[in-house]
Amino acid sequence: MTEPSQEEILELIWTMEEETKRVEKDSLIKKIPFPTAEEKLNALINEDYVKIVESRVELTKKGRADARLVIRRHRLAERLLHDVLEVKEDVMDSSACKFEHILDEEVTASICALLGHPVTCPHGKAIPPGACCEKANKDIRPVVMPLSELKSGDKAKVSYIVTKYHGRLDRLSSMGLLPGVQIRLHQRQPSYVIQMGETQIALDTAIARDIYVRLM
Amino acid sequence: MSKVNINDYKVALVGNPNVGKSVIFGLLTGKYVTVSNYPGTTVEVSRGMCKGLGGGIEIIDTPGANSLIPLSEDESVARDMLLEDYTKHIVQVADAKNLRRGLLVTSQLAEMGLPVVLVLNMWDELLDRGMNVDVEVLQEILGAPVVKTIATHKVGINALFHAIPIAKIPNLPIDYGSLIEEGISRILKILQGNTTVNERALAIMLLSGDEALEEKLRHKLTDGSLAEIKRIRDGIQSHFSNPLSYVINIKRANMVDALVDKVTLTIRKEKETHPAVRGIFFYFLVPLVSFFMGYKLAALLMYLVSSQLPSGSILTLITPLAVGGILSLWSSLYLYVREYKAKVTIAEILGRITMHPIAAFPLLIIILWIIYKLVGEFGAGTCVDFFEEKVFGRSLIPSGGFDLRVYIPFIEKTYVFTHVNFDGFNYYFGLLAQKVMSKDNIIFELFLNEQSGLVRVGLTYAIAIVFPIVGFFFLAFGIMEDSGYLPRLAVMVDKVFKRIGLNGKAVLPMVLGLGCDTMATLTTRILNTKKERIIATLLLALAIPCSAQLGVISSVLGKVSGIYFAIYVFVISIQLLLVGYLSSKVLPGAPSDFLMEIPPFRMPKLSNIFIKTFYRVHWFLKEAVPLFMLGTLALFVATKVGILAFVERMGTPVTRDFLGLPAETTHGFILGFLRRDYGAVSIFKTLEEKGGSAGIDPKQLLVSLVVITLFIPCLANFLVMIKEQGVKNAFFMFAFILPYSILVGGILRVILQRF
Repeated sequence: MTEPSQEEILELIWTMEEETKRVEKDSLIKKIPFPTAEEKLNALINEDYVKIVESRVELTKKGRADARLVIRRHRLAERLLHDVLEVKEDVMDSSACKFEHILDEEVTASICALLGHPVTCPHGKAIPPGACCEKANKDIRPVVMPLSELKSGDKAKVSYIVTKYHGRLDRLSSMGLLPGVQIRLHQRQPSYVIQMGETQIALDTAIARDIYVRLM
Repeated sequence: MSKVNINDYKVALVGNPNVGKSVIFGLLTGKYVTVSNYPGTTVEVSRGMCKGLGGGIEIIDTPGANSLIPLSEDESVARDMLLEDYTKHIVQVADAKNLRRGLLVTSQLAEMGLPVVLVLNMWDELLDRGMNVDVEVLQEILGAPVVKTIATHKVGINALFHAIPIAKIPNLPIDYGSLIEEGISRILKILQGNTTVNERALAIMLLSGDEALEEKLRHKLTDGSLAEIKRIRDGIQSHFSNPLSYVINIKRANMVDALVDKVTLTIRKEKETHPAVRGIFFYFLVPLVSFFMGYKLAALLMYLVSSQLPSGSILTLITPLAVGGILSLWSSLYLYVREYKAKVTIAEILGRITMHPIAAFPLLIIILWIIYKLVGEFGAGTCVDFFEEKVFGRSLIPSGGFDLRVYIPFIEKTYVFTHVNFDGFNYYFGLLAQKVMSKDNIIFELFLNEQSGLVRVGLTYAIAIVFPIVGFFFLAFGIMEDSGYLPRLAVMVDKVFKRIGLNGKAVLPMVLGLGCDTMATLTTRILNTKKERIIATLLLALAIPCSAQLGVISSVLGKVSGIYFAIYVFVISIQLLLVGYLSSKVLPGAPSDFLMEIPPFRMPKLSNIFIKTFYRVHWFLKEAVPLFMLGTLALFVATKVGILAFVERMGTPVTRDFLGLPAETTHGFILGFLRRDYGAVSIFKTLEEKGGSAGIDPKQLLVSLVVITLFIPCLANFLVMIKEQGVKNAFFMFAFILPYSILVGGILRVILQRF
């Protein structure tokens, strides 16, 4: 099993890969926040978590699987702190860093289920899905779910909005439909109609699927 | 307060959609612009001079915008105007009960460094909802004047007049966080001195990825600096995985939320209607209206199948009664159980029913039926007959006058006051003309010819036929608009419209098209994407008959048989869906989202509806009468010179052999380009003459009316298509519609022959 500082490095490699695809060894070492960076990295190489290809650092199969779990725990923790516990952003970041090292598999799965198997963290980065996500059963009503899953009459608070379309996000946000806003689902058919403050807004299914809400 | 000479600035009205900018514009300038309970009524900037304030200030009304970073063409109008280079005071109109959304716009105006007066309109609706806004505190925090108004009742306008000169830049600083702030200051360095507008605002717009703005700056900045701006943006973007514009909007919303919390006070007062009114509504109106609806729906259905049933069948009598009874019972119980205890107003209940997944559809049919009765039967039938036959009449034959009478329904009696001996304007005009010239004189023919005289046909047609039909249509449309029914219709049709590459929002141009395609083509601007605007324009030109045409067609086909009218509606609807579906596949572009604000269901204000109808009809006559005259003149010349005969000869093989119609109908199709309804009448007359004593052949009539409906748009519509879509697109559409409409006619003919 890896120790926390090693997990931090694996996590760092994962996020750097997400951003740039290529992880140069030098820039990695510069970013590692503790003094014995080189040593720790070598230890990881010896334990077959990481390999060096030319000047780049790559995760091995074993390393990737571990990094994936760390990332998953970290981002789920962020979601939990942000959506359910409504912790402030800076506290959320530092706490999530501690959470990722202490959560075991079972707890992680239950948090994931509680949150409704979210797909992104509050910063919008992807959460790697776990086994529980695939098994996710529709008749368990998770705490956070897409607007399209609400029943008419339900009251909810917008948790986050995930969409591929830039324009959609702009349109929603300029109408004032943003995380934190309370809504009530008025009807589902023939189109979704929600009540937000004194405004009634009609939207189609595609948009309703992108808005994740927490049932109130 | 800075000393500003009163004539040194202009006043611009800005605000979210459907908050009453146009009403306030009207009050400030005394000039009328169309007002309705539908977001996006104003698509163009209107200008007027202010009556007060020394009389010398120009007031500009802009289309509503939720954000000054434009997302659709009508939103960019407002933004572009704000960036124009002259001193202006902004009157920002906000819906008092939706303060949050208003302040989102205020914060952007503040960023642009513009002096603002914030108007909290619809103050009465705010109070009705048991809410209150502390205007004093809000004014203090913003450091800019805040005025409360009820514009439709002219309340608070005086205070607004006084506030305009002392408009101030609102104090709403927003900290976007160190990353974005750093980007802003880097962009500011590039912009320095290059623009006349507030640079911080520009920088934020650029960071939000405002492409239209980049285009505008292209001539002011070098390519290098534009590329640098893009680099800065991309650099910051890499730190966020949500788009920057979204991040910026969230920061802004957080700031505004905090402010709204400080100034609003809600004592949730449940609004209630008076118990007596509620009683009448639940125990009397609902059962009665729903019985009527059920009865009418069943009766309409029976009408369609009546030819298949033995005449006088007991079934035709019993069915509507039974259906009416069942529907009445069901809906009364349903509403009673669901809504009687719930403390909501009747307007809200009605608002819900009109969007109800099941109840809304029969309701729609009934509403369409009422509109048909009003526009198609009363407008296009009774009124047109009266105006055309009696008031205008023929140039050589006296009309014989008319009775002034009252018809009393139920007992079906008519009471005649007196007989008016009036033989028609055209007859008297003809008599007058014959004093100076013979009726074979070319001048006499130019004006009073039965087929193409400028007065006998052009003017008579425009006023006697089109005016009543269009007038009644606009009246009905105004009621639908102001009650808030139209946007609810959008909710219902969204799913179907999605299939044809549009979304629910397109219901406005489509329904307006049933009144006048020309006007509707102009309103396609409220649609979000170019693709949608092209599809909507094409469908309007192809498959949406205007009220004048529909009036003629429904009365003509209605006389023949109900089932033929049903087939007509079916064929046209199929074409609408088919062509829409295909063009949504062919044209490039992603589907656009249906996201629309639904205004509250309100009792429409009759005065507003009448004024609006008046202005629309006025506009229509101003546009249509000259075109009618021009068209008639062209027709006259074409007849005399022989071009018409030539084109008719060219077209005859198509009409005769492919469509199976008499050769003379070609004439009608050519007329159709001038006015489509005009063509329909001409074809009907021709077929009537050809049919002789045997009567008209309904199959021929159906084929010809389908073709003329789908056929090329009228001249006015075509000109507007060129204006909105450019010459190339307009001609493409033209080139598609012409052969396509004939093809559909041909196929229909073949199918009809099998039965």
